[in-house]
Amino acid sequence: MSPSSSTPSGATPAGPSGGSSGGGSGGAPTPVRVVLVDDHRMFRTGVRAELTEAMSGGFPVCEFVGEAPDVDTAVAVIRRETPDVVLLDVHLPGGSGNGGADVVRGCAGVETAAGTPVRFLALSVSDAAEDVIAVIRAGARGYVTKTITARDLVSAIRRVADGDAVFSPRLAGFVLDAFGAAAGEIAEVDEELDRLSAREREVMRLIARGYQYKEVAKELFISVKTVETHVSSVLRKLQLSSRHELTAWAMGRRLV
Amino acid sequence: MRQDGGVPTPYEPATVRAAAAAPEPVPAPSRPPLVRSRAAGWTPGVCEAVARHLGVSRRLVRLAFVVLAVSGGAGVAAYVFLWALTGEEDIAPQDEPGRRWSERRRWLLYLAVGVVIVLVGLALLVPGVGVDIRGSFLVPVVAIGVGAVVAWSTLDDAQRTRWLSSGPGGVGWLRVGIGSILALVGILALMTRGRSVTVVWDAMLAALSVLVGALILAAPWAVRLWSDFRREQVAAARATERADIAAHLHDSVLQTLALIQRQSADPQAVTRLARAQERELRTWLYDGPTGSQESLAAAVTEVAHEVEDVHGVPVDLVVTGDRPFEQHGVALSRALREALLNAVRHGAPPVTAYVEIGPSGVEAFVRDRGTGFDLDAVPEDRLGVRQSVLGRMERHGGSARVRRREDGTEVELRLPPIEGEPT
Repeated sequence: MSPSSSTPSGATPAGPSGGSSGGGSGGAPTPVRVVLVDDHRMFRTGVRAELTEAMSGGFPVCEFVGEAPDVDTAVAVIRRETPDVVLLDVHLPGGSGNGGADVVRGCAGVETAAGTPVRFLALSVSDAAEDVIAVIRAGARGYVTKTITARDLVSAIRRVADGDAVFSPRLAGFVLDAFGAAAGEIAEVDEELDRLSAREREVMRLIARGYQYKEVAKELFISVKTVETHVSSVLRKLQLSSRHELTAWAMGRRLV
Repeated sequence: MRQDGGVPTPYEPATVRAAAAAPEPVPAPSRPPLVRSRAAGWTPGVCEAVARHLGVSRRLVRLAFVVLAVSGGAGVAAYVFLWALTGEEDIAPQDEPGRRWSERRRWLLYLAVGVVIVLVGLALLVPGVGVDIRGSFLVPVVAIGVGAVVAWSTLDDAQRTRWLSSGPGGVGWLRVGIGSILALVGILALMTRGRSVTVVWDAMLAALSVLVGALILAAPWAVRLWSDFRREQVAAARATERADIAAHLHDSVLQTLALIQRQSADPQAVTRLARAQERELRTWLYDGPTGSQESLAAAVTEVAHEVEDVHGVPVDLVVTGDRPFEQHGVALSRALREALLNAVRHGAPPVTAYVEIGPSGVEAFVRDRGTGFDLDAVPEDRLGVRQSVLGRMERHGGSARVRRREDGTEVELRLPPIEGEPT
């Protein structure tokens, strides 16, 4: 975290207050375009209201461009709006699976106007680990629980929009368990897909302990960027690994 | 002319068939099961049921029955048999049932059966044709034959398909083939009785044929009874389950909702109630009725829930791995409880806990987001708690550490692996 390296883009006046340091990540001028997919209208309304309130102080971090209650509508809305980030419930009506993974697969290859792929953040209340893993293996960039605070959700959206991965403590715990890292299995080389490297294990453990990325960075004497790289690498392993336990373990287990 | 847009039938003019063939192929309609209509009028509705089932004209069926009745009484027997054994259902009677032939093979089968029946009838009517047989032999044979066909037809298409396709590599067809051969042998034995074969052989075959006939007759009924029984069982189980769920929801969720409404002015109480109820419901839904204290992970989870309930502050707990719950585990869970209580009382939410149970021991971390504190300014009781946490862990071969961070406190608890286990 280095406040001196702020690069005011365009005509940002040099305000002495430095008010919007809450996000801490670059201060992009354009808000993140978000589509909200959840089959409960009450929940959609709640998230919108909460996020709007959380953003009311500073500049708008995200802008809601659409919402959808089921798989087909979601795919249609996402293809039409090409948002930066889709907040996606794991369970949705419609689709051949449980819904969430179907949406991710149905929108494969859709890109935003800026040319980056549409990114998905799984948001769910209580689900079987296998469903969450299915959504992530379909391509979602992260998983957070619905009990997340609005402020954390805003920063998670920001992070996913930047192409980083977002792991809740529970997902980190799951990864440690499923990759056998909790039992001491460590990859010899970083590229090994079926195991975590020693550093990735450390990062996952700290996230499971409830540390924020910048706290992880401080604890391990590395930069936040490096932490993000490690988390993204773990996400890649989670998506690509053919490790048998990954699905076998997830069966019948709940993340929450 | 066509009422149901079904598959073209041989009865229709070629032009109509060509017109009907133009749209995309319609999936073969399943044949309706053989049931009589309650609204059939003054007759029992047997003919209509058969006609609807076979998809042929009612008039044709009636004609067949009359012919059979005239030729030795087989038609009467079959009619009564059908009347007694087919079920009744509320179906609107159709004037002209749609003629449906889902398979050509079936049609050939019916044709063959019809030819056999006609031949048998002729043989009976004209005794001098070559085979000298008495009606007393033929009637049971015909009755058995018709009965078998009818009995098999009573199963609807899906059931029959399942039966025929059951077993690897056409065992179903083999069964049918063997049954047919046996039936044929039985009929032949009946017809040549007392002439060209010995009496014993003859009697044996006759008995065998009756047995086979009985089996063929009984099997579908047994299947039907069994499936009915199963359906009732499933329905009963579902009803019981529903009642259980209703009872549980009433005792838990509805009560909590009532409490929440009463305490709506107190947000903390509402949060606590909702959180406790959510957890309880989740346990009930996903974990089943285990609730055992056998494992360390379960014990640790219970401790976290208890702290949550007492203070109404959510505790985010993540546990990886597991091991049996023994005395060191007890010490750890108690120390963890103290640490959690501390965090909940003196720190600020969110309170997170992570317990890693691995082959190299147990590590537990409790973290809160308090503003940090001055160690000297800590009240005595808290220090005492800290000492008790530390002391307890050390007595069990472990260790405890309290770390002050910029934005909170973290307690670390460690336990060595259970003795005798490989590290």
